[in-house]
Amino acid sequence: MTDTTSVLGYAWPMIVSAGEKIAFHLSSTTLKSAEAALVRVRCADPDPAGPGLRLAEMPTTLDGTLALSHQPLLPGSCAVVADAPTLVEFQSFTVGAFVWPTMPGARGQTLVSRWSDRGGGWRLGLDADGHLEFELSAEGETWRAATRQPLQVREWALVGGAWDAAAGVLRVMVHSHDAQGGRERRAVVEGKGPTTMQWPVGAPLVIAAQAKDAISYGAFYDGKIDRPRLYADALGVDALQRLCDAQEIVPADARLVAAWNFSLDIPSSTVTDMSANRLHGALRQMPARGMTGANWDGSSDRWTERPAQYGAIHFHSDDMADAEWAPSVEVAIPADWRSGFYALRLRAHPAGADPVESFVGFFVRADLGKARAPVAFVASTGTFLAYANSALRLDQVHAESMLEGLLTLSRDDLYLQEHRELGLSTYDTHADGSGWCISSGKRPILNMRPRGNVFNYGNDTHLIDWLEETGQDYDIVTDDDIHRHGLQVLKPYRCVITGSHPEYISREIWDAFDAYQQSGGRHMYLGGNGFYWRIAYHPTQPHTIEMRRGMTGLRTWEGEAGETALGFTGEPSSTWRSNGRPPQRLVGVGFDAQVFTHSSPYRWLDGARSPALTWLTDGIDLDRPLGDFGLRGNGAAGVEVDRLEFTLGTPPGAVWLATADRLGYGGTPAPEELRTLHRGVMGDQNAQVRADLVYFPTANGGGVFSTGSIAWVCALSHGNYDNNVSRLTGNVLRRFLDERPLSISS
Amino acid sequence: MLVTYAEAAHWPIDARRLDLVEEFRRKPRGPHGEELQKLLHRMRWAGDFETGGGRYVLVVKTPGKEWLLGRLPRERGKPIEVMGNRLFTSIAEGEWEVFKLRWEALTGTVLPEHLREALA
Repeated sequence: MTDTTSVLGYAWPMIVSAGEKIAFHLSSTTLKSAEAALVRVRCADPDPAGPGLRLAEMPTTLDGTLALSHQPLLPGSCAVVADAPTLVEFQSFTVGAFVWPTMPGARGQTLVSRWSDRGGGWRLGLDADGHLEFELSAEGETWRAATRQPLQVREWALVGGAWDAAAGVLRVMVHSHDAQGGRERRAVVEGKGPTTMQWPVGAPLVIAAQAKDAISYGAFYDGKIDRPRLYADALGVDALQRLCDAQEIVPADARLVAAWNFSLDIPSSTVTDMSANRLHGALRQMPARGMTGANWDGSSDRWTERPAQYGAIHFHSDDMADAEWAPSVEVAIPADWRSGFYALRLRAHPAGADPVESFVGFFVRADLGKARAPVAFVASTGTFLAYANSALRLDQVHAESMLEGLLTLSRDDLYLQEHRELGLSTYDTHADGSGWCISSGKRPILNMRPRGNVFNYGNDTHLIDWLEETGQDYDIVTDDDIHRHGLQVLKPYRCVITGSHPEYISREIWDAFDAYQQSGGRHMYLGGNGFYWRIAYHPTQPHTIEMRRGMTGLRTWEGEAGETALGFTGEPSSTWRSNGRPPQRLVGVGFDAQVFTHSSPYRWLDGARSPALTWLTDGIDLDRPLGDFGLRGNGAAGVEVDRLEFTLGTPPGAVWLATADRLGYGGTPAPEELRTLHRGVMGDQNAQVRADLVYFPTANGGGVFSTGSIAWVCALSHGNYDNNVSRLTGNVLRRFLDERPLSISS
Repeated sequence: MLVTYAEAAHWPIDARRLDLVEEFRRKPRGPHGEELQKLLHRMRWAGDFETGGGRYVLVVKTPGKEWLLGRLPRERGKPIEVMGNRLFTSIAEGEWEVFKLRWEALTGTVLPEHLREALA
């Protein structure tokens, strides 16, 4: 078994232009060195039933033996406020916040602290059993007060810790928001405290964790925190409640040390202190922002409309947005390289162990506005990020039933099961059960590289393989660049091809495709379930996306009410269909079903028999099935499929060329395809469970051709590329590259 | 938070329905009749958890050619057990082997000799 994980890394930036430098950030716990080379990816899928791995070595100065070292991954989000003089000026004090804990009782967790493992300090947190505890420690002595009941999971409570130096008393306080039905946790517990304290030197104040030393943190908290406050006075629970409830604070209040307002600058990594001390903090590892606070009343589901009700941050002990690894090697990409999918290949032959061949994926973009070829293939980098390190099959109980067969796991899966510090995908749930909203490329991504699990990245390379095989020159452009530069990225190309599953799309990307189509561009959408979820890119951090699943669509987790607006931008997330842009409007077809039992062929419809479309059907027998073969389920229509639907926006001028509407009992409709519940919804009885093939001309002589199936591109290589799927794809591409305007009769 | 529970699949398995075993043996990758679909759903949803073990999985040894039997624990972070001596040269072979293990574990019965053999 090839070892694909003994050395891992990420490229930064993830996407470069030829001539630019790229750094590889690598780590290995076992290898001291590896043989390195850059490769150009033609096919990343090692399956011998298909083209197999096809990688071309690309000589650079990097070739040769590369020294490796171990670099740890330190997951867990928190807010860090640098040490400040005002934090040691008081003795008696109170710290409080509203909290919504998601894992009370799982382990010790810290809510707010100014602490160091060597010097002690203070911390308000949850003990291993979920009781609220307030702790002071100095010179080897510790004072502690704790509640007798654990906090209630996923329920808001005001919590506080107060130290009255004059009285030598510590106090913990809990006030439950909803005191009914067993939720009441109200408590005030006092214990013996010191009468004077020597605070630690140089310790940061940390929210949702505590400092271990100058660079690392521990005791991460899982759950939401809203309106943390720090007062230089020993307050009672009612006074604390009044002060925390107040939306407006009084900066001149002599007792006030800090009052953080998480509803300010939500897209940023800064937390703002409204006090006169300006104790602003920096967030680590991108926790979820723009989350409903303790005061959210349902009057809006957008933080942009009611920011004061979105003062919560949801912290996770497993958040991971930045591995923070040092670069291991840097190389300038030669200026004459073609754009494409590339990877750093690392090989080693450790004694007595499996041979190592591990890859780090990256992309070389075509220069903006300078097409080297008439056709561009889009690297669906937004989707690759959304799926980065997906543990869906490992964690979700439905996976084997959904996939209609035993899970087949790779060496990468074995590694991911044990190494959750890599950070998971937007398909997964955090340790506390809440959904992963954010995914970044600044960490090793196991499934965006050769030999990785094939969904998306690997499948898309089958299209690259076909372009190479057919001698079609092409450029590679990426989602990230389309998001950033819009139409300019697409406009130089006579034809743009999107791959097997361009599922995650920002508004900017959607607008660019729409404008491209309307300006006479030709778009081949050779996938399924594309243009489905609405995402945002981080305003400043490259290669970082956010999505909120909301409560519709085929969702592997469901968000909380009121939390469907993106923290990065304030835009609504969820499906494009629920944002007024069903995929049918852009590409003629939209997601309707999954089918994993087997894939199917399409059958040609009358629309394809028009004499005006002989350019499309040339050399194809329309009385024979289209695509009764392929690497994904032995058919070209399968896995995730789309249907034409005029009421959802399929252009009235669209030609319905072919359909695969006999998907069998494994054809399972998407949730949004069902208005009510009734029998007969599965593919053996439901003609709306299908894949449709459509063509339509767009404004200014442009056109769109869509296949509505993930399995399509994995059928191209069948029979040594001599098959009707390959033939049809070639016919359409040839015509789309022809300058003559497209029309129904073209 | 909408939770999907491991206990949700509850179709009763009748240990006398050896015809379903035979049907699966003939076509491990389907298509399957309605009752066999229901049996497979019960097994695949969380059948291995019901009998106290981790989920049976196939671990790719050589892509497209060789798979090993493995068990995926329910708990995140715990290693997947790979059984190096249980090698399959097709996914169908692995499916049949796991089907037999699940049938015997869930019914508490031993399959008759003629149904314990490898794939036909």
